[in-house]
Amino acid sequence: MKLTALLITIAFLQVHAGGHAQTVTLSRQQTSLERIFKEIRKQTGYYFLYTDEQLSGAAKVTLDVKNASLQEVLELCFRNQPLTYTIDNRIVIVKRRPAAAITPATPPADITVTGRVTDEKGEPLPGVTIQVKGTSTGVVTDVDGRYTISVPAGNAILLISSIGYNTREVPVNGRTDISVVLQAQASGLNELVVVGYGEQKKSTLTNAISSVSSKEFRDQPVNRLDQVLQGRVAGVQVTNAAGSPGGSVRIRIRGANSINGDNGPLYVVDGFVGAEFFSINPNDIASIQVLKDASATAIYGSRGANGVIIITTRKGSKDGLKVNFTSRFSTSQVINKLDLLNAGDFAETANAHATATGTAPPFTTEEVADLRAKGGTDWQDEIFRQAMAQEYMLSLSGGNDKSGYFISGNYLDQEGVINNSFYKRYTLRSNIHSKLTDRISTFLNITGSYSKAQNVDIPADGPHSPLAQAITWSPTVPVRNAEGQYTTADPVSSVFFNPVALTTEQLTVTDRMLANAIGGFRFELLPGLSLNLQYGANYLQYENRSFAGKVVNSGTATTSVRNNREIRLQNTNTLNYHKAFNGGHTIDLTAVMEYQQSTYNFTQAGASNLTYEHFKWDNLGLGTPGSPSSGYSKWALFSLVGRANYAYKDKYLVSAALRRDGSSKFRENNRFSYFPSVSAGWVLTEEPFLEHQQTLSYLKLRASWGLTGSEGVGPYSTFSSYSRRIASFTNSTFLNGIVLGNIGNPDLQWETTEQKNAGIEIGLLRDRISITADYFIKDTRDLLLNEKLPLYLGGNTITRNVGAVQNKGWELAIEGAVINRGPLTWNTWLNFSFLRNEVTSIGSSSQRIFDPNNRRIGGGMSPQSEFVVMPGQPLGAIWGLTYLGTWKPGDAKAAEYGAAPGDARYLDLNGDNVIDADDYGVIGTGMPRTSVGWNNTVSYRSWTLNLFFQGLFGFDKLNYNKAAAMYHGGDAREATHVDILDRYIPGVNETSDIPAFSTTNRNFTQSTRFLEKADFLRLKNVSLSYDIPGSKLKNAVGIKLFVSATNLFTITDYSGIDPEANSSAGDIRQGIDFGSYPNAKTYTGGITLSF
Amino acid sequence: MQKKIYLVVAMFLLGACSRQLTEDPKGLVAGTAALSNMAGLEAALTGAYGSLMVPWESGFTTVSQIAMTMGADDLTTHPGSNKEEFREFDRFNVSSLNSRMTPIWLGCYKTIQSTTNIINNYDAVQDGTEEEVHEIVGEAYFLRALCYYWLTRLWGAVPVIPTEEYSPDLLELQKSEPATVYRLIEEDLAMAEQWVSNEKRDPGRPNKGAVKALLADVYLTEAGWPLKDASKYALAAAKAKEVIDNKGAYGFDLYQDGFQQIFAGGTVEDVFTLFTRGQWSTYNSFYGLSTMPENEGGWSDFFPELRFFHDFPAGPRKDATFSTEFVVDGDTIPWQQVSTKHPYYKKFRIQSGNPYTYMSNNPVIMIRYAHVLLIYAEAQARATGAPNAEAYTAINAVRHRAGLDDLQPGLSGAAFADSVVAERSWEFAGEWNRWFDLVRLEQVAAANASKDPGDLQPAGAITEEKYWMPIPGNDALINPNL
Repeated sequence: MKLTALLITIAFLQVHAGGHAQTVTLSRQQTSLERIFKEIRKQTGYYFLYTDEQLSGAAKVTLDVKNASLQEVLELCFRNQPLTYTIDNRIVIVKRRPAAAITPATPPADITVTGRVTDEKGEPLPGVTIQVKGTSTGVVTDVDGRYTISVPAGNAILLISSIGYNTREVPVNGRTDISVVLQAQASGLNELVVVGYGEQKKSTLTNAISSVSSKEFRDQPVNRLDQVLQGRVAGVQVTNAAGSPGGSVRIRIRGANSINGDNGPLYVVDGFVGAEFFSINPNDIASIQVLKDASATAIYGSRGANGVIIITTRKGSKDGLKVNFTSRFSTSQVINKLDLLNAGDFAETANAHATATGTAPPFTTEEVADLRAKGGTDWQDEIFRQAMAQEYMLSLSGGNDKSGYFISGNYLDQEGVINNSFYKRYTLRSNIHSKLTDRISTFLNITGSYSKAQNVDIPADGPHSPLAQAITWSPTVPVRNAEGQYTTADPVSSVFFNPVALTTEQLTVTDRMLANAIGGFRFELLPGLSLNLQYGANYLQYENRSFAGKVVNSGTATTSVRNNREIRLQNTNTLNYHKAFNGGHTIDLTAVMEYQQSTYNFTQAGASNLTYEHFKWDNLGLGTPGSPSSGYSKWALFSLVGRANYAYKDKYLVSAALRRDGSSKFRENNRFSYFPSVSAGWVLTEEPFLEHQQTLSYLKLRASWGLTGSEGVGPYSTFSSYSRRIASFTNSTFLNGIVLGNIGNPDLQWETTEQKNAGIEIGLLRDRISITADYFIKDTRDLLLNEKLPLYLGGNTITRNVGAVQNKGWELAIEGAVINRGPLTWNTWLNFSFLRNEVTSIGSSSQRIFDPNNRRIGGGMSPQSEFVVMPGQPLGAIWGLTYLGTWKPGDAKAAEYGAAPGDARYLDLNGDNVIDADDYGVIGTGMPRTSVGWNNTVSYRSWTLNLFFQGLFGFDKLNYNKAAAMYHGGDAREATHVDILDRYIPGVNETSDIPAFSTTNRNFTQSTRFLEKADFLRLKNVSLSYDIPGSKLKNAVGIKLFVSATNLFTITDYSGIDPEANSSAGDIRQGIDFGSYPNAKTYTGGITLSF
Repeated sequence: MQKKIYLVVAMFLLGACSRQLTEDPKGLVAGTAALSNMAGLEAALTGAYGSLMVPWESGFTTVSQIAMTMGADDLTTHPGSNKEEFREFDRFNVSSLNSRMTPIWLGCYKTIQSTTNIINNYDAVQDGTEEEVHEIVGEAYFLRALCYYWLTRLWGAVPVIPTEEYSPDLLELQKSEPATVYRLIEEDLAMAEQWVSNEKRDPGRPNKGAVKALLADVYLTEAGWPLKDASKYALAAAKAKEVIDNKGAYGFDLYQDGFQQIFAGGTVEDVFTLFTRGQWSTYNSFYGLSTMPENEGGWSDFFPELRFFHDFPAGPRKDATFSTEFVVDGDTIPWQQVSTKHPYYKKFRIQSGNPYTYMSNNPVIMIRYAHVLLIYAEAQARATGAPNAEAYTAINAVRHRAGLDDLQPGLSGAAFADSVVAERSWEFAGEWNRWFDLVRLEQVAAANASKDPGDLQPAGAITEEKYWMPIPGNDALINPNL
């Protein structure tokens, strides 16, 4: 493999230029270059490579030569042209002449014009080309936007152009001082968009790709990629499952296809496939492309099924040194709290509970009065805090004509709103690129990141979640006893650990060190034909350390350290060929060979019974050693890709691609798979019938079809294997044993997603408003499913290809400059996504498959798996009982269920008078059906205001936080939520649907009683910045000041802490909110300096 | 130039790296190689034991077997608190979703899977002597029999797993009737009896005496409901007698240095005991907090019913069985003043180390020598219709230690057997024995007929349907044949 790559490199380095000694005889008056080239070709056999576009700006030529050398003739042809040439192996390659390199070869100028070019805000624009129209005379503006140019007297016109700005033509009219304001291009249609393994003009795209440019988020305090994507791209759903800094987040493009595999998108950073999402510093991002439909993603084959996010990081430009420094400070607090009983009410309620069940009341009357007078412990206040954060970013960029550099560093230190949790991150990036020769260029991007997270991924299951404990511990218990030690047990309510101790005596620390390098060479083999050789390496080392002190671990301090190392290597060799033919035909061909491999190792050691608790993981020797463990796994993927794009006059567009992947995870017969795709587009506004009208400036229809795949399983899934299980034969030792674990399935194969997409792109009022709408159907088949076998077969897991899931929906994105008048501008981005997810089949063997990860929350709170996969239901279908309120007095049926009035009543589906497994059904879905994002930027002179709303709709959540606080079962023996005061009380309050305290009541928390609609609309960000214009300051330093607020308010009917938070990162398990880390309300202030 | 391009394209296509795409699962115990040597076979056996001791998940180290036998008169639970699932057993309305059943159901079946693997594949072992292999396989037979015995006693008809290898048709497996299950148990124990040696390889393993003791217990149960094969009483007596006659060789006896001491494990009384190590590896979670009242910071999961406690004959055994006084904030309070107004089981208090924990290194005593003596006594009397002198010797040995007088001589077979059953209820109070006695003798309804008003009352009539637990709902949903 590696040898192949090397040979390719050598093969191309041997390409050499041949000599030429033929002569030309030619006499022509005012003839086009094209015709002259044809003549020379006839005489010499040399070919010319050029585009029509290149020659359109060329002046006509008069020639009269006899037996002149080819070189002489070419010199004459190219004299005074905006073009130059090189000769390569009998081919004359025509090139645009670099503007700065143009030497004034025209007769002496009559006038010298000077001036300054600025943008709309008055900022100088360096690097702008100023050209005298119709000549090759041109200069470039300096750092201050100033230029000096000699122009011939008469009707000279200055052509002023710069990438990203509308080109202007300014007649000189005898003036010597001409200052110009350039307007940023309203339409990005001509910008190049990075697509898989290449670039393409935005207007010629035939697939559903959404772009996010840095201007959409530069005014917001974003420090992670998910915050950049959240609500900004139609079809992309971002949920902060945990609100902790550095906590888990769910990003989904067009829903979740896979039950088994990771449904997160593939991240491609500067060509590195499968980059680490957490290590990307948003400040380094130049642009983001979100590839959504199959014609865009199929090029990534087996890795593209969940959509692809391509990130291009910033490059140095030829503008000279630019320095940018930003510093931010913020403070956060939890967005909401549960409404819990105060100590007095709690004590009275616990007494009422005891009286109702015939046990002794835990509190005396005096104690109740005392608690009422003194107040008790507000456990939520004890674990939540005002959290501070600071972030610093510095970037340097610059370069010259041949090379450029971008260097940036970032330091983030963020506290979480739960006591003692924090996230720190350092990132460093260095991007360099250089043109080695006219035909060879190279780049090398290196990024390193180190992060440390403490207690940010809190265990969401009851006993060890500070939040789950804070809402179930009695408010009557103090945090610490008289000696200042943590209270170890709650005698009345929770059976588990002190919530505050869980924040300080239970530590989970993850240290991550990442180094990623990607670099390569680009060879311009022939005009239009280039070869890219890219090599990438990703080294990820992370260490998980955990510690549990005696007080949170039943009297034994334990600790462990696990070291993980993952090394990923990638080699991508790409051939791109672009050719424009006469008559408006263009083709683009791409061929790729790619190899990726990943090797993972870990070692782990632990100890319990620590002699010195405060040493934690730093001296394992001084404790009772636990079993060390280690492991290894490796996968490899080999791929071949071909793609062809054809366009006729940028009007009729067709594209087709095919990828073949071979994966090590599957056995011989299923190892290779083909992923084809086709797409087509029609730009109606290029048609004559739509040409001459003002309203509709752009209209494109497009459609696509393609297959993508997913490996969806870990390495070695086709092998049956054993897992470790220990046993003791004395009371002081244990032995290692094995039990049957994974059941290997040699027939495993790819999970395949077929996606159809139809889209329309509309530009209105000279592209001031642009609308994109897409409709898609994604059918995933051969679904890889981990099926948990029944317990009588050992409860093992088997992975099989069964069933199918369909995602369909549509997306709408509207982008517009609402106000664009003078100093006031208002830009708005609005996007909607509607998604319907349905399991269409789960194979023939069973009616339903339960989520194998039964959470068994709180000792019997949820006796079955909460999530089920069954045909006709969405992937995240919630399984439970239907709650019918309480049994009312006089209802004779209550006795048939062994219940008394005031006890909970459930729907008896099969009517057998027993509430049992047979009475469970689908009661909701955890997967949002609709998501909305609305982003606004309003600028007035130096002020910029950003308002960003985000909403998710059409989903349910099992509010287990509330259940734990209400149900006095499982691991909490008493109710702590204020709603318990409204319970059914015989003879007093018999209309209530909150069950009475009784010995006969059956509580099933996995029921509609605790299921709530979790729809919400949130003001995700509001920020205001003030840009002190450079002109107001004596030196060249630009200063920007900003303040912002995140998650300022949420509109929701959900009664829990945070409708966005949920307990598990998996897709089918997102419908539970139990002890999960809630999101925070954050206020940020900061400053940016640039010079 | 063109040739070079062809060359490159060819290399593009030929560069398939089939070697790189073939997996080499280093460090993974996979396939049949796992059981090809003695060490692997031993590891598989250790795993089989291990599935009987995963707290809260699988096996007997959690309060599950106590919860499931709460229908007997020696066990009850808290009327409020978070004890809904426990109350279902006490009140005879058990839901198929009651998660307290899962550790026993899963633990037994997981062990059955592991032992079946050993029994079906031990031929593949390349090293070791036949004797060494038989020792391991003999223990596997013993464990498999023990697990099926627990399953059929609690659930009646249960699926019998023919193979350790998964195939989809196993998802439609039918249940086997208890008679079939018991036949398998006897066959397995016959093999175990042959191959397990007289000496325990470790304290936590069976020896030949333990195998015989279990077989005697199985016979005794087979003689009662549901098989009601009275011929088994003689077999039970004979088998128990073999143990009693060879107690020296097996290292068994009644432990005389303090009754409570037995429950810390490691005494001569242990016939078959599961040991735990504590310290977050294997641990026992029903000793300690589970058996302590809330006033002491305990969980109050289980405690004796009041009538049972009152009827229990006084003496050192009673004193060692129950906790009747509790120290709360330095004050000693009698059981009448704890929140549940009940005494608690002292047997399962932690005797050394921190008593206020749910993770201790205490044993789970599955069979002790007193069982053997009382099996013999009851079976002998029922088999012949009249107790012999050895039967009296056996029960009196247990009574003497309890501080009781000799049993009245000259009792009829039935009266003697009844005395033994009563003696068993006291001797094994709280040790999940009483329920199985009541079931096999069809006395469940009678034992629950006159409950103390301070105890939870049954939810309805107690019929024979209530003798067995519902098949766990999650499995029944997958396989409707259950």
